[in-house]
Amino acid sequence: MENFSFSRPTELKEKRKVATLLRLGVIGLGRMGKLHFLNALHMKDVKVVGAADKSKESRRVAEKYHVKTYDDYIKLLDSEELDAVIISLPNFLKRDSIFYASEKDLDIFVDKPLARNLAETEEIIRKVRAESVRLMVGVNYRYFDSVQKLKTILDQDRVGDVVIATSELIMDGPFSHPLVPKPIPEWWFDKEKAGGGALLDLGYHLIDIFNWMFGNLDIEFSTLGYRFGLPIEDSATAVLRSPETGVRCIVNTGWFSKMIFPSFNFRINLHGTVGYASTDRFAPKNLYLHAVKEGTLNLFRRAIGTKVQYMSYTYYYASFAEVLSQFLESITRGMQLPVLLDEQLAVMKTIESVYKQNGVS
Amino acid sequence: MATVVLTKAEGYTQVELREAVCRALDTLNYDFDDNTEFIVIKPNLCYYWDYSTGETTDPNVVSAVIDWVRERIGENVCILVGEADASAMRTKYAYKMLGYEKLSHEKNVKLVNLSEGEIVDREVVVAGEKLVLPVNKVLLDAHLIINVPKMKFHRVAWGLTCAMKNMFGAIAKPRKYVYHPRLAYAIVGINKIIKTNIILVDGITVIGKKLKKMGIIMAGDDVLAVDVVAANAMSYEPSKVAYLKLAMEEKIGDIDSIDLIESGVRLRDIKKEFPRQNYWLQKVSWHLQLKILGTYARLADDVVPPTLEE
Repeated sequence: MENFSFSRPTELKEKRKVATLLRLGVIGLGRMGKLHFLNALHMKDVKVVGAADKSKESRRVAEKYHVKTYDDYIKLLDSEELDAVIISLPNFLKRDSIFYASEKDLDIFVDKPLARNLAETEEIIRKVRAESVRLMVGVNYRYFDSVQKLKTILDQDRVGDVVIATSELIMDGPFSHPLVPKPIPEWWFDKEKAGGGALLDLGYHLIDIFNWMFGNLDIEFSTLGYRFGLPIEDSATAVLRSPETGVRCIVNTGWFSKMIFPSFNFRINLHGTVGYASTDRFAPKNLYLHAVKEGTLNLFRRAIGTKVQYMSYTYYYASFAEVLSQFLESITRGMQLPVLLDEQLAVMKTIESVYKQNGVS
Repeated sequence: MATVVLTKAEGYTQVELREAVCRALDTLNYDFDDNTEFIVIKPNLCYYWDYSTGETTDPNVVSAVIDWVRERIGENVCILVGEADASAMRTKYAYKMLGYEKLSHEKNVKLVNLSEGEIVDREVVVAGEKLVLPVNKVLLDAHLIINVPKMKFHRVAWGLTCAMKNMFGAIAKPRKYVYHPRLAYAIVGINKIIKTNIILVDGITVIGKKLKKMGIIMAGDDVLAVDVVAANAMSYEPSKVAYLKLAMEEKIGDIDSIDLIESGVRLRDIKKEFPRQNYWLQKVSWHLQLKILGTYARLADDVVPPTLEE
């Protein structure tokens, strides 16, 4: 697979070397943007220079930390000297914001999905390649501790040849209820603006993990569910198959389940010729005990001056801190990004094929 | 005298639910005004959670209520189903997602968003305090209001949400969260402004300490009386539920002599079966968790997920 991080012009790499801190901008301070913003504030060698969101209420979080805010990302990118930007905008705004940031020569971290559909994904990839900027999609589920351990088991051939792999990610998606109630942004209900439903939102992670583990996959079967009667699917099942190894991967995803934090419903199971492995084996059995244990460890780490494992006490949210940290570290050190654009293109190809197979235009 | 009928569905099929709803309403024997032509039904659609979660009113229950009304009053009676937007919920999506659009087509009833259309500011005095609450004119013009609440545990409303709290959901202002600091006053205020004629409680799936299918159906003609019986069923002392206490003081309903009709089920049996949640223990434990989290985040300089921010 091509990795264009090495094709970056030398002068830009030099610019990065002399900067003491990586100057970061955050575009979008909704639920995920706010999380990235807070995580970025805690990252080593990073300075969050500015943040943009059209909502005054959303901008307050940045103002609280004395970070300059803008009501328009164009103003942020035009006014501030930045090295990189986090884009956490609704799906229909991603293309234009990525285009503008890449024209400003900024490295980009963007929430999944990269775009609403395959054509838009291809367009974005062509653009960032043409502008020689680096872009990474925040596929945080790869960075769950349990998924990392499963990948190690797979790489060490400890389950033999995997014949069947199953996966489940069934939660409430955009319908999760925060402590302080706020309306769900309406673009989620709009097929044109969202691009898709549960498959594009949550299924994306499962397909990405399977692609990462087994390479590109073809579709054997797929079906979409519409229990909520929305124009976008609220559940999806897909059976994928590797043309090279024959491994069959089953994706089950949905938005239909009421889920209250810290609960979550996610697992990957690998069934091989000499055994099986599951992320459930490595996930905490009791999330409250896990929080107490990790919280205590972090206090200890803080006391002795070693690195705090941000959000590790939540288990679920730790992966968001980790994926952002991977991106920032890679660009600071001029290293290859751990998530490749061709992989994301493959994920979008699979999703688009599922939609086509089910008559979704 | 207030009447409350308590009954239980034999099973959970649509037919069995319909039988239980009709039994409860027939037993209530509500005396309809001859001129009743325009009826509003108010379910509890607090969020996008499916009725199987026990959070929202089962559309099958509302469907049975519609059939019963038409049988009793006539096919030509105009029936609207009304719900208002909430802090986190938009009615137009809730109707779609929770099966109410389907119900509207099947039963030929109109769905109304009580946050849209003609909204009137109504002044009300509760315990000497003046409140102004926005109300949809549809509710003020209705000849009859049928309140179809859920009976369930509520973290904010002193443990109980049922008939009175469901009418709080009818306040036209979407961001009702702003009323939470004076919640008891707002609940009593709206029930003073809008008088519910018939209450049909959906206790098919209830939420207490856990989710439980109980098949309870309750009918009544007095919001306070119904809530007092519901509080008893959930093992809460009504006078310790702040808005019920305030409603008693304000004489919202008649609870001096409740005619409790137990049809096929006894209140004491429901009380035994109900998965009781200790409100104060839950409240203290929740606040303690948030306090510990906040203290930890400060000491460790760690991040609190935005979803948990107060």
